[in-house]
Amino acid sequence: MTGASQASPRRSRIELTVVAIIAVILIVVLPVLNAQGAISNFTLGLWGKYLCYALLAISVDLLWGYTGLLSLGQALFFTLGGYMHGMYLMRMIGELGQYKKPIPDFLVFLGWERLPAFWEPFSSFSFAVVMVFLVPGLLAYVFGYLAFRSRIKGVYFSILTQALTYAASIMFFRNNLLMGGNNGFTDFKFILGHSLAEPATMRGLYIATAIAVVLAFLFCRWLSRTKFGLVQQAIRDGENRVLFSGYATMHFKLFVFVVAALIAAVGGALYTPQVGIINPGEMQADKSLEAVVWVAVGGRGTLLGPILGAVSINALKSWATRAYPDLWLVILGGLFVLVVLFLPGGLVSIPARLKALWGKVRRSPEKPAAAASDTQPASAKT
Amino acid sequence: MPPDPMMNFLARCLRPLACLAVIAGALAAPAEPARQILVRAALSDDAAQQRELITSLTGRADAALVALLEAWRTDALFRYAPAEGTALVVQLTGPKDDEGRQAAVRIDTGAALVDAAGQPLKLAAGDLKAVEHTTSLRRAMKAVADLADLADPDPARRFKAVQTIGQAQDAAKLAPLQARLEVETDAGVRRVLREAIALVQLKDPQDATRIAALGTLKELHTLASTDFIKRALKEAEEARNQPVLTAAREALRAVENHRSFVDFFGTLFRGVSLGSILLVAALGLAITFGLMRVINMAHGEMIAVGAYTTYLVQNVFGTGITLPFFGLSLGLPGLDLTGGAYQTYFLFALPCSFLAAALVGIGLERSVIRFLYRRPLESLLATWGVSLVLQQAFRLMFGANNVQVSSPVYLSGNWTVNDIIFGWNRVFVVGFAILIVFGMWLVLTKTPLGLLIRASMQNRTMASCMGVRTERVNMLTFGLGSGLAGLAGAFLSQIGNVGPSLGQGYIIDSFMVVVVGGVGSIGGTILSAFGIGGIDQVLQQYLPVVAPGLGWVPGIGGFLQNLAQDAAVFGKILVLAGIILFLQWRPAGLFVTRSRSLED
Repeated sequence: MTGASQASPRRSRIELTVVAIIAVILIVVLPVLNAQGAISNFTLGLWGKYLCYALLAISVDLLWGYTGLLSLGQALFFTLGGYMHGMYLMRMIGELGQYKKPIPDFLVFLGWERLPAFWEPFSSFSFAVVMVFLVPGLLAYVFGYLAFRSRIKGVYFSILTQALTYAASIMFFRNNLLMGGNNGFTDFKFILGHSLAEPATMRGLYIATAIAVVLAFLFCRWLSRTKFGLVQQAIRDGENRVLFSGYATMHFKLFVFVVAALIAAVGGALYTPQVGIINPGEMQADKSLEAVVWVAVGGRGTLLGPILGAVSINALKSWATRAYPDLWLVILGGLFVLVVLFLPGGLVSIPARLKALWGKVRRSPEKPAAAASDTQPASAKT
Repeated sequence: MPPDPMMNFLARCLRPLACLAVIAGALAAPAEPARQILVRAALSDDAAQQRELITSLTGRADAALVALLEAWRTDALFRYAPAEGTALVVQLTGPKDDEGRQAAVRIDTGAALVDAAGQPLKLAAGDLKAVEHTTSLRRAMKAVADLADLADPDPARRFKAVQTIGQAQDAAKLAPLQARLEVETDAGVRRVLREAIALVQLKDPQDATRIAALGTLKELHTLASTDFIKRALKEAEEARNQPVLTAAREALRAVENHRSFVDFFGTLFRGVSLGSILLVAALGLAITFGLMRVINMAHGEMIAVGAYTTYLVQNVFGTGITLPFFGLSLGLPGLDLTGGAYQTYFLFALPCSFLAAALVGIGLERSVIRFLYRRPLESLLATWGVSLVLQQAFRLMFGANNVQVSSPVYLSGNWTVNDIIFGWNRVFVVGFAILIVFGMWLVLTKTPLGLLIRASMQNRTMASCMGVRTERVNMLTFGLGSGLAGLAGAFLSQIGNVGPSLGQGYIIDSFMVVVVGGVGSIGGTILSAFGIGGIDQVLQQYLPVVAPGLGWVPGIGGFLQNLAQDAAVFGKILVLAGIILFLQWRPAGLFVTRSRSLED
């Protein structure tokens, strides 16, 4: 894998400059253009959604790309964050719902007169924010503790996280959970006193999302350069060696798992008000796998890859689901197979591969390009 | 001192016998046909005699007689007095002619009415007088009609009739029920007759009769009698009637014991059948994942391939089918079979499903998986991509909705043994699971292919050095695993819906079964399938019983009570949580395949 951690200072400076430019474009330029009317509210909303997905992709990459843990449960943490924030937003609807009652519509529909006790504190924004971190974080901690303690790894870990997601989704589909059942939460009206129908509010949410993405990026960049990050990557490449060198790999993995869950949860919390709906469909195992596709296509084990993948695949999806609604799944599935088979490094590895190819063409054919060797598909010989 | 219940019971039994004897005596030589009794009643002028005659038909009425009684009640029977001879009763049938006349049928013989010359006689309803009926006569007729099914030649209909009468608890029906019990030969109907008699007797004012009835119910302990016993228990409690109360308690205990027995074995059977379903679905995976260590996320779609193949074969045996195929249209002609020949389609569908899924599997192995043997995580992702493509292909070819796969007659229906219901398709799945496990064991241990498969899976390099063509073995092994999934699909099409997302419903369960059983261990897969299936069914059965008692749990008590209403979902979640905890205890599953390699 192309490790960004060992890059030369010069390369690092170039990289930072590029990131800064992108950050300025995302955080400042796009909203300003929107305020001027050059970019429609719809487009900006779409970008807000893509960036929420980028947070989800970063969390997948932190686990899969940097620690070698393929978690198929990240959509669960994403959705849980969304639900926690959604509960606050549902409370903010007040009596403007269809039934004109002080409790959310679906509760009225289920025959509730009063608010259930666990809904009560969500009228406070700060409580909701705490829960956005606490609930997914706690779940990740407990599940991660159980899984890593018994040294469940590799595909077993993937399958178990998928089962966890599956169990949670069938639970959230039930009305009896009092979390909106099938339909989830929707019809939000206000956030912190601002109407969600106002373009200015949506712009604010978009800027918050863009800042969150940049912060998450910088955090991961910093983490991957610390000693912790090096151990993390060593676990990916040879866990037993790390274990035998005296590191308690379980604690490292648990920490990363919880941090990744929190990043996903933030993405979900920002997703809910911008998209205007959160339902159990978002937490199905398929969604987690889709996030893995973004990372794989963008380039796993790189920092920019997941963001690039999330934005490009979702842009493709927005276009393809309108242009070829029947074929979207075929395109997604096919793309995935092709990337896994022929482009394991993802989109970000294309420049390096082209360079290597160019080098091969220029130099004599006896000298194979070293850069290309680690991105070739592993030998099929069995 | 209460009267001796035994004596009382005997007296009760003897009374209808005496009654029967009177009727039998009247009919003994030569038995007067029911129709003629009816005619005599219709022509009689004495209301009391009419009632008596009609009541004497009790238990002898068949469907035709019931129709005649109905005709009488609706003023469709007429009194016809020919110029000479006695008066007749007739019914008018057939189309009316210009003068409003219709052909007439004599009720006493059922033959057409003819004049002296033997020509059919036509009569107009307006010229005739309808046979009259009073309220009490109508009541007597209704009683006869209600009991008509008691004499039905079909035991199943008799059974149902007796059941209905018993549950109505009408004391007036007691005598005919007892009369029927004397002549009834079918064991099942006898049993339900005794139950019905006892149920009716529960309304009896005499304590002794009620106690005897409760004794009978205790002996029969049928589930249907629960509510009646409970009611009797309540009445006895209110009346402070100690002997009846004791009898009712005993009867109720017997019924409840029987119910828990039925529940237990019903749960056991459902657990075994769910376990078989899981096993059948997971067996293919036990080969591809367990032996080859390939994470095939498209395994569920292999199951769907099998199910859709069954659908296609069914259509080929029927009227044929046309499929849209990426812009082209693929027509399959039908054989237009019907009846027994059509029913055999399922037997042909089995091998077809196996072959179709095996071919798709081999195609998948050749095109994708063989590049990824050393990268299990990537094979997970790539096969998931394939599963998306296949799902969409199903949607495009067969439509997004479920398709209809009809069950052949030999797979629909059920046995009821001692109140426990055994669906034939479920029994068949259990048998099939046993068969398929046995077949797989044969292939793996007794055939040259099995030897090569085991050799390659244990040590690929060494097998290759010994001259085994491991590439080919891989291909065939994967084909075998996929074929088994297809076979599973053929069977699951008899149990659940067949739709594009059929496979998604089974994939997680299948992986759980293999992981819990221990990857690489077929025996473990079998054990864990039955274990998971059994636990799931036990939870579904007993959660609704346990859950209302969970209110005490601080904070989430009410929440738990609420959730347990969805026992199926909550049970499933508990099973998944249980699996995660189980893996704490045995991280490698039930049966560990030991190896010297660190990474295994």
